[in-house]
Amino acid sequence: MTIDEACRAVILSRGDAIVVATMGAMGALDRLDVGQPRLSCVPLMGGAAALALGIALAHPNEKVIVLDGDASLLMELGGLVTVAGSRPRNFYHFVIENGVQFAGMSNLPLASSAHDLCTMAAGAGYASCSMYDCVEALTADLPARLSESGPTFTSLHVIPLPPVFKHRVPQRELPDWHFKRMGDEARALTTWLRSRLPATA
Amino acid sequence: MQAANPSYTKPIPASSLLATLVGSGIDCVVTVPDWVQLSLHQALTSSPLAVTVCCTENQAVCVSTGMRIGGRFPVVLIQNQGLYACMNALRATALDAKLPTLFLIGQFGREDANHGHPHRVSTRSPVRYLEPALEAFGVCFWHLENESDLCNISIATAHVREHGRSAALIIGTALAWR
Repeated sequence: MTIDEACRAVILSRGDAIVVATMGAMGALDRLDVGQPRLSCVPLMGGAAALALGIALAHPNEKVIVLDGDASLLMELGGLVTVAGSRPRNFYHFVIENGVQFAGMSNLPLASSAHDLCTMAAGAGYASCSMYDCVEALTADLPARLSESGPTFTSLHVIPLPPVFKHRVPQRELPDWHFKRMGDEARALTTWLRSRLPATA
Repeated sequence: MQAANPSYTKPIPASSLLATLVGSGIDCVVTVPDWVQLSLHQALTSSPLAVTVCCTENQAVCVSTGMRIGGRFPVVLIQNQGLYACMNALRATALDAKLPTLFLIGQFGREDANHGHPHRVSTRSPVRYLEPALEAFGVCFWHLENESDLCNISIATAHVREHGRSAALIIGTALAWR
């Protein structure tokens, strides 16, 4: 399964759920041209689950999907406990597990290849945890997964994109948009959430 | 012998601080617990404010930001060391994304001799560097030393609400257990 296949499957099943994505998943959503309700956690590795938790707690009637990365989650691993301790029934945590950092750029190794995020999430107290490495099985199960009571954890094992940076293809300057988009998307999401509130007499 | 400082001998009651927070529109609390505010943590257990406990201050800032995106008005209750621990989340949310956070920060470790003097001349590094750190990140701050300072809470909440800028309330003395 590729990251684009995994993210496409989630997006096709999202309904009107809010999606908070970071790093590789954010890039995949850009390629899929996914719009609001959406929030990109950038540049802030490790922040996606906590941002999404805040939204989920503020709007318990809205489903919130997190598209996290394994390297990102490992930076704030205690966030699994923070999420589970808050028991958000509307919280669906998906983690892209490609086993590398800077996937598609340089594919550097993680601190360990022996960790098991599903077991960690279960140990933290998530309501249910599962793992997929095949897009057909993921697609078949997603409607049920997104109908469960959260917080749920779903590990998506994907093949990392090949690295592109090398001697003749170095890194380029990051655009200003990379630093602005989280705020712009957050303000758009606030407007979207307000539009979902029942009109007062 | 150094004369006792009035603010040191008459700390702010946790119940007064909590009532002022509620009166200023705060509707939830996100925290990594603070030693200086232990009595406030205790008071929160019987308060209507929802409390979200986080494992790190980076998470607390992000949870607070998500709540604000969702229309809530949280306060992030942490201690000075926690402010240093959440610099990256604060940089991303407050500076880059312009999504404000309101902090309630206890000056953990402040020595008795510093009471009545500026925090930035404290001999204790967590105390001494708090104000410069907040200034570096563009976070305006106000002090809560005694009950007459409680009016600073509405000033700080207005700063967040009206200017969309982060703000911090610095608690210099352990809150009273009443």
